[in-house]
Amino acid sequence: MVELVPTLLRQELSRLAEDDLRLDGRGQWEGREVTLETDCLYNAEGSAKVVMGDTIVYAGVKFELRTPWPDRPAQGSLMCGAELRPVAHRKYEPGPPSPQSIELGRVVDRGIRESGCIDMESLCIVPGEKVWGVMIDIHVLSDGGNIFDACGLAAIAALRTAVVPAERFDVGEDYTLKVKGTPIMASFTRVGGRYVYDPSEEEELGGDERIHITLGDEGHLHSLQKGLRGVFTPAEFAEIFGVAHLRCVELRKLVANQEGN
Amino acid sequence: MGGYGDVQLLREDGLRLDGRKLDEMRPMTIEAGVLPAADGSAMVTHGLNVAVAAVYGPMEAHPRKIQRQDRAVIDVRYNMAPFSTSDRIRPGFNRRSREISKVTAEALESVVLCERYPRSKIRVEIEILAAEAGTRCAGLTAAAVALADAGIPMRDLIVGVASGKVEGIVVLDLDKAEDNYGQADLPVGILPNTGEIAFLQMDGDLSPDEYNLAMEYNFKAAAEIHEIMVDALKRRYEGGEN
Repeated sequence: MVELVPTLLRQELSRLAEDDLRLDGRGQWEGREVTLETDCLYNAEGSAKVVMGDTIVYAGVKFELRTPWPDRPAQGSLMCGAELRPVAHRKYEPGPPSPQSIELGRVVDRGIRESGCIDMESLCIVPGEKVWGVMIDIHVLSDGGNIFDACGLAAIAALRTAVVPAERFDVGEDYTLKVKGTPIMASFTRVGGRYVYDPSEEEELGGDERIHITLGDEGHLHSLQKGLRGVFTPAEFAEIFGVAHLRCVELRKLVANQEGN
Repeated sequence: MGGYGDVQLLREDGLRLDGRKLDEMRPMTIEAGVLPAADGSAMVTHGLNVAVAAVYGPMEAHPRKIQRQDRAVIDVRYNMAPFSTSDRIRPGFNRRSREISKVTAEALESVVLCERYPRSKIRVEIEILAAEAGTRCAGLTAAAVALADAGIPMRDLIVGVASGKVEGIVVLDLDKAEDNYGQADLPVGILPNTGEIAFLQMDGDLSPDEYNLAMEYNFKAAAEIHEIMVDALKRRYEGGEN
């Protein structure tokens, strides 16, 4: 059964791709509707909920005081982790973090970290002694496909609403964390031989390799990742890069609008 | 239970710090069918608590050693999200969550008609997204609604509810401060139709009279919560507001 369903699904997806169709009726580069809610969890210093089709993801930001790394005495730290808890799908099992969830967390982490949106030196309280550690935890509650983009969006949206709990730690007054940009991820999966944007659960099940692109405010690349078995051509990348660029601008607006409220 | 006497938890006018009466519970909302990937699901908000439960199955029971020839087993995982508390929790199971998972599973096995599904497993995942005292009860209530939402036959729902004692006075539904500095906590799982109890824990100090009063509060609140649970399920299946 494990093999049979994807085989039939693959045939169907290939047939649809010939006519430039998708299983759920979307266009090749059309994303599902995205809803974003921020500041939605008590106890998290910053939080966000993202719903994309059947995918539901929460992200929460916590701070802790720690001693800085010896080679970077005046810098705080950022850590982003994702958990694919068994709540999210019947395919996920309990146990130590799977390679999948580690990849997910690290790809999101790189996009945020490398965009430079957090000034690590601003997280320093006493050089060599005390700095802030910022932790973004991503909780996938329902995997309906393309959890990468949902996680990336939830993480940056949560981070952008985070308030540093300085009073609770006796190091001054609370203040809003300074975040200088909004890195956004766009993901593509090869389905029926061609790439589509924002794959659904079925498209992932019957699809091949995936590519994740994280772009900063200026349109610069901050993280790339190819996952699963398969190859692509430079021309294919150029095409999806163009789509990613447009989509990231739209989603960045969504984050900004949410903050405006 | 902290039981520190130096923190004032009741006001001069006899009300509690958040203005509630002694037998008044925090506001609660329940929504069924919130997770599209799951066979059944529910979200409970109770005060500032947010608990989500997902049900998968009945499915093949593995590892094989947990299989029962005559009935289904219920596999519960109660988990607190790292950002659900004031200090971040390291991801993963700990002793507290293991114990809560175990007694919650046993409570649910008491109402689900497990014998309908021999050799199978029903997975119940409880995720606490925000915690403000009373998460095991919110989780239990969410799990019961999620099981019903999944269409799994049950003898009754289970309502998770707790009472406790602060400054020597029995109160319904402890909030965070009352939980930290109070003198007793009595969380129970009540079958609203039969009046039976499927889940029981307690810590602290209660006299027999105080226990009786706390239970009386619990049963009264359970009836209220039961209505909210039924309403959530009706809205899901009768095409009401949703």
